[in-house]
Amino acid sequence: MNDADIDSDATDRMLLQRMAVGDRTALAVLYRSYYGRLSRFLARLTRRSDVIEEVVNDCFWIAWQKAGSFHGDSRVSTWIIGIAYRCGLKALRQHGDEPVEDDVLVLDRFHAHDPDEDRELRDWLAKGLNRLTADQRLVIELVYGLGHTLDDVAIIMQCPVGTVKARLFHARVKLRNTLPALAGEPVRQKESMP
Amino acid sequence: MKPPSDLGKDCARSWEVMPWALQNRVSPAEDEWLTSHLTQCESCRSEFEQQSRLRMALTLPPDIPLNPDAGLRRLLARIDAPDAQETSQRARATGWITRTLVAAVLVQALGIGVLGVKLWSQNAVPVYHTLSQANPAAPVGAIHVVPDESMRLSDWNSLLHTMHLQVVGGPNDVGAYTVVSVDTSLSPRDTLQKLRTTQGIRLAEPVAAAP
Ligand SMILES: [Zn+2]
Repeated sequence: MNDADIDSDATDRMLLQRMAVGDRTALAVLYRSYYGRLSRFLARLTRRSDVIEEVVNDCFWIAWQKAGSFHGDSRVSTWIIGIAYRCGLKALRQHGDEPVEDDVLVLDRFHAHDPDEDRELRDWLAKGLNRLTADQRLVIELVYGLGHTLDDVAIIMQCPVGTVKARLFHARVKLRNTLPALAGEPVRQKESMP
Repeated sequence: MKPPSDLGKDCARSWEVMPWALQNRVSPAEDEWLTSHLTQCESCRSEFEQQSRLRMALTLPPDIPLNPDAGLRRLLARIDAPDAQETSQRARATGWITRTLVAAVLVQALGIGVLGVKLWSQNAVPVYHTLSQANPAAPVGAIHVVPDESMRLSDWNSLLHTMHLQVVGGPNDVGAYTVVSVDTSLSPRDTLQKLRTTQGIRLAEPVAAAP
């Protein structure tokens, strides 16, 4: 945990304490601060914006109810993303087989504004992630996207660190076997080793 | 490409370090070690290139149109009006209060019934009792009425007058009066309904009629 992480966790704890006594402004601040992180995490489970919002709200509904029982055993971010993880899996079971045609149309319009480069990178990623299980996709997002440590991921997924390591390893092997064939361009030099 | 199970010791270590090295979260010594391994190992170099691309792809801005303001509004509305399915503490508390009130009213009603019967047994003078005459003295259509404690005597009297009611007993220990209607055009049920919708009346219950 670096200094910035410690600062933001102290802020989050203060907000939770205020939520525990019914402060809605604190809830709104925490909601806005986590909305981006939670929605990109949940986007690895579903492409439906309505389901993503539903899960974010389920997560904050629980956080609002349980704010007073948070004892600080983990960072607030780990606690909140753990709630979102469980709500997300529940929503996946409920909505997993529903049609998504409407959203695909929305996404196509949305993507029309993407630079070609980004769009290509997104497609490349989507093809790779499609070969992974839901838990493998989420481990990839938690580690590379949100920057959580293996210990944090173990708390979020409520499993041993060994299981997280195994999920990450198998996800990488699958990606390694899938993605080279899909890579359309060499990696940009700035991202290579110095 | 080597299958990962055949990774050498150095390659295994390099695989483990890569995700964190990409995020600048390793010690300088570790970073230096990885750099030197990558210059010697083509397999790890290609893996690192792919990892870099993966990291870049995962840090692109979200690609699903979402509206946090609308989401927050819906969340606050949900908190303000928890529906019956939400097992919130607030909903449980409401349930508890409702059950307590129901229980209190039941106790009160039972008290009125018991005391009312007792009252009538003392005042009336039925000469012959049979077992089937459980409540021999209550006149047909008698109603137990509990007015609010805050109700003024003048209001109570005017209510009795306008509804053509006559007090035939009470008040008992719980403040219940026994009343009968002297308006023959109104059925006991109509009188009861009217009383129940009258402001200032806490309770109106028919007295069990004798068979
Ligand atoms: Zn190697």
